[in-house]
Amino acid sequence: MTNLSPAYIEGATVLSQERLTEDVYRLTVATTTGGAPGQFYMVRAWEREPLLARPLSVHSVDEDTVSFLYQVRGRGTELLARLDEGGKVALTGPLGHGFHTEELCGRIAIVTGGIGIAPMFCLARTLPAGDVTVIAGFKSTPYAVAQFVDLGVDVRVATEDGCDGTRGFCTAIFDPHIYDMVVTCGPMSMMARVAHLCAEAGVPCQASLEAHMACGVGACLVCSCATVLGNQRVCADGPVFDAAEVVWHA
Amino acid sequence: MLETTLCGITLKNPVIAASGTFGFGAEYSQFFDVGRLGGICSKGLTLHPREGNPGLRVWETPAGMMNSVGLQNPGIPVFLERELPRMRTLGTAIIANVGGDDLEDYVEGVQLLSNAEGIDIIELNISCPNVREGGMAFGIKCDAAASVVAAVRPVCAKPLMVKLSPNAEDIVAMAIACERAGADAVSLVNSFKALAIDIHTRKPVFDNVTAGLSGPCIKPIALRMVWEVASAVHIPVVGIGGIATWQDALEFIMAGATAVQVGSATFVKPTVMLDIVDGLERYCADEHLTSIATVCSILGTETPLP
Repeated sequence: MTNLSPAYIEGATVLSQERLTEDVYRLTVATTTGGAPGQFYMVRAWEREPLLARPLSVHSVDEDTVSFLYQVRGRGTELLARLDEGGKVALTGPLGHGFHTEELCGRIAIVTGGIGIAPMFCLARTLPAGDVTVIAGFKSTPYAVAQFVDLGVDVRVATEDGCDGTRGFCTAIFDPHIYDMVVTCGPMSMMARVAHLCAEAGVPCQASLEAHMACGVGACLVCSCATVLGNQRVCADGPVFDAAEVVWHA
Repeated sequence: MLETTLCGITLKNPVIAASGTFGFGAEYSQFFDVGRLGGICSKGLTLHPREGNPGLRVWETPAGMMNSVGLQNPGIPVFLERELPRMRTLGTAIIANVGGDDLEDYVEGVQLLSNAEGIDIIELNISCPNVREGGMAFGIKCDAAASVVAAVRPVCAKPLMVKLSPNAEDIVAMAIACERAGADAVSLVNSFKALAIDIHTRKPVFDNVTAGLSGPCIKPIALRMVWEVASAVHIPVVGIGGIATWQDALEFIMAGATAVQVGSATFVKPTVMLDIVDGLERYCADEHLTSIATVCSILGTETPLP
């Protein structure tokens, strides 16, 4: 799918804010700027503090809305969670290079950890549902999985506390050998494991990386990640990378 | 009203994108006509490519941010071949920011940039707090700063602006030393050497331990330094440090800055520099000023310097 060019929009209107779990929310905003699966926006809903906007991946998109699925992690996401319908946000985006959807064919596994499930819904919508398996890991109560079931996608869940699905990490219920393509998003250690399993099985894997960002557009170089091609910008060269090219530290 | 002369170079206005916050201009061209800016300072360049620092590179603070990029850049030859031709199409003054690991690198780097067509001003970075050997090593002691300025001066055919560190032992003495060594202008301040600790790991947040603090939190200190330096030197001063609004920019101009550079604020709002240009224009119109230069240094130096 073609990555779209970004715009800066001040005062985009919040259409809805849903609380999915104790600390996971879905924010839907009125904007026609769209986004390809895997692209993201820099989002802010405050004047001065904190200084920087927050990078949030596109969770769902249609002609005149964009939704973000996010977890409250700190001051910025706390403020986002306080937004109600009618509230205003500033958006910069859509940004970055998303998933290489043209390469996604055959049997596809979407392997996610926690809030890493966020960018996968708009990706799954572009794929033939019968070819896709979502393998989603959570610390505890799962979220945002029912919508994949609605698409007709096979969903498997692992939880660390065993409250739902298989107890343990999602990587324990992921066998790369039965897939032709893998995409992953989640904590770095989990993606490193997925990348390792895929490399062993000889299955291509696309990984969507997360990083602290300042500009979000490729100018400041604070979100760089080590790759076999040298340092790459998560925001502008990614956030989606060929997992075999990332130098995984975890 | 906003046309500004800096070291003999005519700028459309006194608002310049600060080095390291604007890449080579291409990224922000997606959001606005960067040709409306007074100028763009390139990402800090070194003779040889640098991968920059490992580990976390950014940390937010109240009213500011810390960075530890460590001069990641493609090297001057690649800049000249790949980035400069694109920058020249942007329609604004080009200021090449150059750092170095040692005197020889500075001299060779400046020489290459000086011979390149399309570069208007060379900004000598002696103030990067995030690289051990180069950069700030020359920005702490006056003697070291003077030696690097004196070394590059003979090979620099273009205006030479020296970017000063607020971490200098005495920033006024530093500015005077640079002026005497042949600088055509000074720009100040670069980021403040700062520290953040992760209380859970009981370790510094940054691999490099310290990092550079920028943003609105440094503005009053930067403004004081600009005022002190502008009061003490005869060359133009370019003000930098937490400028986020046209009122901030005007404060620096009133304190003695011929032009200003905007950095972190662009991360907050990609088009903020246009707001600053428009705001300064409105101010001149409202105050019936024929030129923004009429309020430059209007604060004067009546207050005795310490």
